Amino acid sequence: MSKVTTLEQAAASIPDGSTVAIGGLSMNSAPMALVRELVRQKKKDLDLVAIVAGMAVDWLVAGGCVRRVMAGLVSFEGLGLAPNFRAAVQSGQVAIEEYSEHLLICRLQAQSCNLPFMPTKAGLGTDVLGLHAESGAVREEKDGPTGEHYVACTRLPVDVALVHAHEADDRGTTRVNPKLVWMDNEIVNAATRTVASVERVVGTEAFTAEPERTTYPRFMIDAVAPAPQGAYPCSCFPDYGHDSEFFMEYSQATRGRETFTQFFQERVAGPETWEDFLAVNNVATGAFA
Amino acid sequence: MTTPVPGYDCTIDELMVVAFSQAMSNDTRAFNGAVSFIPVCGYMLARRTHAPELVWAASSIAVDADPDEIGDSTLSDSLWGGASMLSNSPFDFWAFAQGARYNTFAFRGAQMDACGNVNNTVIGPYDAPKVRLPGGGGMADLGAMIPRIYLWSSTHDPRTFVDQLHFRSGIGWGDGGDHRERMGMPGGPQLCITNLCVFDFEPASKRMRLASLHPGVTAEQVQEATGFEVLMPDGEIPTTAQPTDEELHILRTEVDPTSARLREF
Repeated sequence: MSKVTTLEQAAASIPDGSTVAIGGLSMNSAPMALVRELVRQKKKDLDLVAIVAGMAVDWLVAGGCVRRVMAGLVSFEGLGLAPNFRAAVQSGQVAIEEYSEHLLICRLQAQSCNLPFMPTKAGLGTDVLGLHAESGAVREEKDGPTGEHYVACTRLPVDVALVHAHEADDRGTTRVNPKLVWMDNEIVNAATRTVASVERVVGTEAFTAEPERTTYPRFMIDAVAPAPQGAYPCSCFPDYGHDSEFFMEYSQATRGRETFTQFFQERVAGPETWEDFLAVNNVATGAFA
Repeated sequence: MTTPVPGYDCTIDELMVVAFSQAMSNDTRAFNGAVSFIPVCGYMLARRTHAPELVWAASSIAVDADPDEIGDSTLSDSLWGGASMLSNSPFDFWAFAQGARYNTFAFRGAQMDACGNVNNTVIGPYDAPKVRLPGGGGMADLGAMIPRIYLWSSTHDPRTFVDQLHFRSGIGWGDGGDHRERMGMPGGPQLCITNLCVFDFEPASKRMRLASLHPGVTAEQVQEATGFEVLMPDGEIPTTAQPTDEELHILRTEVDPTSARLREF
């Protein structure tokens, strides 16, 4: 049976209250088309896992979809703080579960490998560990035989991972082209299900001709949703870069509540299809022709 | 906005880049994180001047990158031109970091304390923050893993250089003294380069000590701009070395012709 589906159906398969891991890193390769569809479908109480994120988390927070954010970093880098994320955490509307990059990666790896914990030296001597004292999700320990300090990062169950890739076939075999996967493999390996948005669907022969270039085997990908320019306004190396202009206009709009509501409706959540969204934002694409 | 350095034919951002570059050497193996324009310029400049063997992985991905210009993100693919290798994933990077194959990392934060620990998580109480900042990112990780840590700040004032961090996102020398050694962490912070001066770390206490003053800045001014007691070196305090014409020319025309570094000012 073909795994190719639509953005709408892929998003509809994710229940309220799910733990959703979001791929990409900062301004790169985030699954924005899928994220936008979650916003459009007014998902509620999502727990987000985002190793290093920005706009994807901010859209979901702006859409009122988020209960909790588990993250190492959320920002627009040199273009500023993520405004809705910042405001929602400050007001207590959204809970934050504090990590660093590697603490979160190690929790995902413990989950992937079905181990009680993954050790790392990340986070030692910082205030991050104290925040987890009660849950013990990440905890400082000392190795008996060597006396070495480390942090034990326990399993982190993830219901669904959302990633963006270049191409997949209808069986779910998926390729990031050329090969850069950021840290998406960590969330894919940990998640019960993975939905991949892709720039294009290709025939299986595209994979069998060069199997050494496949990124994810088909048994790890549950649904494939075509979305040309699907990481916009983030980048999808090497096809397109991030759109600084969009980031700046978005940040500017958050200076007033009404301005932002209007901006968010017109430029993000309002357009009915992904194609409409790209048209509203003047993104050139030949892929729909 | 940046300011001219009195008596030197350059501006403060250029002086900071050159001071950073001069601290690098042929055995530097570095990578960079977000919003790291001064270090990125410093690595590229060092490689073009006194440290041709220096290794720099742009965005922790692109080894030996040599971009024509630096864009608006130091994590973006716009920085990867000319690379000899693109890593599959930052995951490849973690083994190199944990094993200290990469030996050099630079970070900054909204707050820094005397031992070079950094806060980039919250201003105010953690549970009811006045400002929610981006979070520790890789700082909490790499502070514990990398032997040569460099800090920088373009806002040397008492709000940035504080006695007590509101949150310790990344570890420098920790509680000072032999704290890192006891925790099994290699090395520690080497220098902190600011818009007023360069600090090193006093070897026993591991607290910031004035290493050089930028031209026109006094030790009293540095103390006033710093929320903890600044340790003074024995003898006269040197002035931060003047950049050579060659360094300035290469920085302005080859390394950062569009002045991306000013995004930090």
